[in-house]
Amino acid sequence: MASRRRMLLKVIILGDSGVGKTSLMNQYVNRKFSNQYKATIGADFLTKEFQFEDRLFTLQIWDTAGQERFQSLGVAFYRGADCCVLVHDVNVMKSFDNLNNWREEFLIQASPSDPENFPFVVLGNKVDVDGGNSRVVSEKKAKAWCASKGNIPYFETSAKEGFNVEAAFECIAKNALKNEPEEEIYLPETIDVAGGGRPQRSTGCEC
Amino acid sequence: MSSDSSPSSSISDGLADLNSDPQLVDKRFDLLSLNEPTELERNHPGNGNEIADGSLSPERNNNVAEDEDRLRVGDQRISGEEGLSSPSSSGYAGGRGSSSVTGPSRIGETGEIDDNEIQKLRNDGSLGGITGSYASWVPGKRHVDEDDASISWGKRKKHFFILSNSGKPIYSRYGDEHKLAGFTETLQAIISFVENGGDHVKLVKAGNHQVVFLVKGPIYIVCISCTEEPLESLKGQLEFIYGQLILILTKSINRCFEKNPKFDMTPLLGGTDVIFSSLFHLFSWNPATFLHAYTCLPLAYASRQAAGAILQDVANFGVLFAILMCKHKVISLVGAQKASLHPDDMLLLSNFVLSSESFRTSESLPICLPRYNPMAFLYAYVHFLDVNTYLMLLTTSSDAFYHLKECRIRIEVVLLNSNVLSEVQRSMIDGGMRVVDLPVDSLPRSGSSHLGKQRLTSDSPEMPRESFVGIGGPAGLWHFIYRSIYLDQYVSSEFSPPLNSLRQQKRLYRAYQRLYASMHDKGIGPHKTQFRRDENYVLLCWVTQDFEFYAAFDPLADKALAIKTCNRVCQWVKDVENEIFLQGASPFSW
Repeated sequence: MASRRRMLLKVIILGDSGVGKTSLMNQYVNRKFSNQYKATIGADFLTKEFQFEDRLFTLQIWDTAGQERFQSLGVAFYRGADCCVLVHDVNVMKSFDNLNNWREEFLIQASPSDPENFPFVVLGNKVDVDGGNSRVVSEKKAKAWCASKGNIPYFETSAKEGFNVEAAFECIAKNALKNEPEEEIYLPETIDVAGGGRPQRSTGCEC
Repeated sequence: MSSDSSPSSSISDGLADLNSDPQLVDKRFDLLSLNEPTELERNHPGNGNEIADGSLSPERNNNVAEDEDRLRVGDQRISGEEGLSSPSSSGYAGGRGSSSVTGPSRIGETGEIDDNEIQKLRNDGSLGGITGSYASWVPGKRHVDEDDASISWGKRKKHFFILSNSGKPIYSRYGDEHKLAGFTETLQAIISFVENGGDHVKLVKAGNHQVVFLVKGPIYIVCISCTEEPLESLKGQLEFIYGQLILILTKSINRCFEKNPKFDMTPLLGGTDVIFSSLFHLFSWNPATFLHAYTCLPLAYASRQAAGAILQDVANFGVLFAILMCKHKVISLVGAQKASLHPDDMLLLSNFVLSSESFRTSESLPICLPRYNPMAFLYAYVHFLDVNTYLMLLTTSSDAFYHLKECRIRIEVVLLNSNVLSEVQRSMIDGGMRVVDLPVDSLPRSGSSHLGKQRLTSDSPEMPRESFVGIGGPAGLWHFIYRSIYLDQYVSSEFSPPLNSLRQQKRLYRAYQRLYASMHDKGIGPHKTQFRRDENYVLLCWVTQDFEFYAAFDPLADKALAIKTCNRVCQWVKDVENEIFLQGASPFSW
C-alpha cells in the first residue's frame, strides 16, 4: 500500500435548514462554486484536501438542501458515500430530534452494505450563540443519542471557532482508513475456448 | 503553377514564403477579396444547367450511358457559403471558439496552440508517410496541476471527464482529478437530477460550449467543448473513450460498482494516461474516428497477398486474429473462421499498442475487444518488426505465449525473405496517393495501373497544363478521402501544400466531420451529394451505395472542374484498388 496514495471520500452533510451547515462548510472549505445550486439541484459541491497520517485525502462534500422536493434525489446523491455528517443546532430541539429521521432516511436511500457500521459523525453547531444561554440540547444528551446509535463520534462546533470541524473530518478520515477494503485483484472473465466466445453482433449475416 | 485570378500576385508571394512561414498562407487568404467567388456563386444556376446540357463539355455527351456512375451536376445541392459565425462572448473563459479560421490566433486557443506549435518531428524514424500532425504532438497528460479554479483550465477547448455514478472523478483530460472532485460531483448531480425527472440529459449548450453526456451503466463520460464540432462527432468520441476503457478493463468492471458503489476505479487505470491522451489526439487527425473504417498501407498486390497468406497460415492454428500493421495503417489482417474485427476495435487496439510502452517491453498482454466481446479478455501477443511495423496475434488462450512466439518467428522470416518488410518501409516514406499525381483522362484505365507509374513531375511534358486556381492538384484539388462501404476501408491522400501545417490539417478534418455529419443527419438526410463553398475550401461530398467520397479544393475552384476532378479521382482509386485496399480473404461482417 503506497503511503502517499490519495484517497477520495464522498461525504454527505445532512440536517435541517438553518442549523448552519453551509456556514460550517464555508469555514472549512475553499469555496469555488457560489451558493446557487442548492435551490435548483438540491446540493452544493465542495472539495477539501488535507493530509492525515501520511495519506492525502480529498473530501468530496455534498452539502445538501433539506427541502422535501429533493428527497427523491437521495438515492443518486448518496450513492457511494463514504461517510455522513449529521448537523443540528444545539439551540433548536427540533433539529436534534430530526437527526434520527435524517439518519434513517440516509440509510434507506444509500443502502450501504453494512448499515450497522456505516460511519456517521454528529456535529452540534452554534454552541457559542448567546454565550451558551439559549442552548437546549446538552452535550450529555447528544452524546447519549450518539452512543445508542453505534458510538457515533460527536463534536461541538461553531462558525466562529471552526477548529472542531477539522477534528471531525480527521475522524472521518480515520474511520475511512479503518473501513478501507482490501485491494482486490481485478479478475474479469476470459473467453472460454470451449464455449466459443460468442461475439456480440447486432445485425448482419455471417457470410 | 500560375493562377489567372486577380489576386494571383498575393498568392504567388505567399507561395514563395510558404516553407518558411506556413501562417503566411492564412494571412494571404485574409487579404483575398471575396468578389470572385461571390460572382461565381450568383452564376451557378446558369453554369449548372449549361453543363447538364452538355454544351460546355463535349465528352459528357459520349458518356450518357455511364451517367449513373458519374457525379451529375443536376444532383448538386448547393448549400452556399457557410455562414461566418462571429465569435461571441458567452461569459465563459473558453468562449472564443474556433468559428472563423482565417483569423490570427485567439486567446481561447492558447492551450491548443502551445501543444501544436512544437514543430520538431518525432525522432522515431517515420517521415512523410503519416501526416505531420501526428509527428509533432507530445504524448501523455499535461497541465496536471490545474483545477476548475484555474483560468487556463477554463480556456481549454475540449475537456473530457470520466466519472462514476457516485460522482467520483476517474479521469480528466486536463487537471488533477482529485481537485476536480467538486466539478465531477456537479456533473453527476446534473445527470441524476434529469434522470430523476424520467429523462436523460444528452446535451447542454451554454454560449459556445457544448456539454455532451454519455451514460454507460455506472460510468459517466462527459465532454465539454467549444470546438463547434457536431454533436454526433462528440458523441462518437465519447463512445471511443468508453471503448478504450473497456479494452483495458472489460465490461466486467460494472460488477465492481454493483458490489461496491464506493468502488474507486482509478487505480486500475494506472499508467494509462498516455493511451487516453493519444486517443484524444486521434480525434483531431484520424478520419477513422468518424468514418468507422480502417485504412491500409499502399502496397503491391503480390506483397500484400504474401503477407496475408502467412497470417492465414497462423490463424488456422489457434490464433483468433492476426494483424500486421504499420503505425495506424493495415498491411494485412486475418480472422480465424468467421471472426470479424470491427474497425473501431482496430483503432482502439492500435492506439493502445502504439501509445503505451508496455508492448515494446513485454510481448503479451490481456486486452478486450469491445465490439467482439466486451465482457472478457483476449490475449494479445505483439511484436515490433521495426520501429513502426508490428504484428498482433490475438488468442483466447492464456498459455499460448510460446506457440505465438513461434508463429511470430515464422511470419517474420517469410516477410523478410519476400521483401515485404522493406517494401513496407519504403511505402511508409513515399507511398500513398498524392493529389498532384492524379492521372489525366487520357491515360489507359487498365487494371494494371500502379500508383508508382503515375508519379510524373509537374513540369514533365506528359503532364498537360490544366488551368486551375491556386496550388494543389488539378482544378485546385487539395485533399480527398475515399471510403469503400463494402470493404469498410478508406484511403486519404497525402497532405501537401497548402495543407501542410498542423492547424490546417486539423481544420480540414473538422470540416470533413461537419460534412459527414450533415450528410448522415437523420433529421434531414441521408443525402447523395453536397457542394459547399466558403472562404476556406470548396468541399464536395458524394455518397453512393458503394462508396463515400470527400474532397477539398481551393476555395476559388471552378465547380464544374471540381466535379469532373472528383470523378477522375474515384476512377483512379478504382484503378489502383488492388494496391490501396485489402481485398479481403476474410469477410468482415457484424
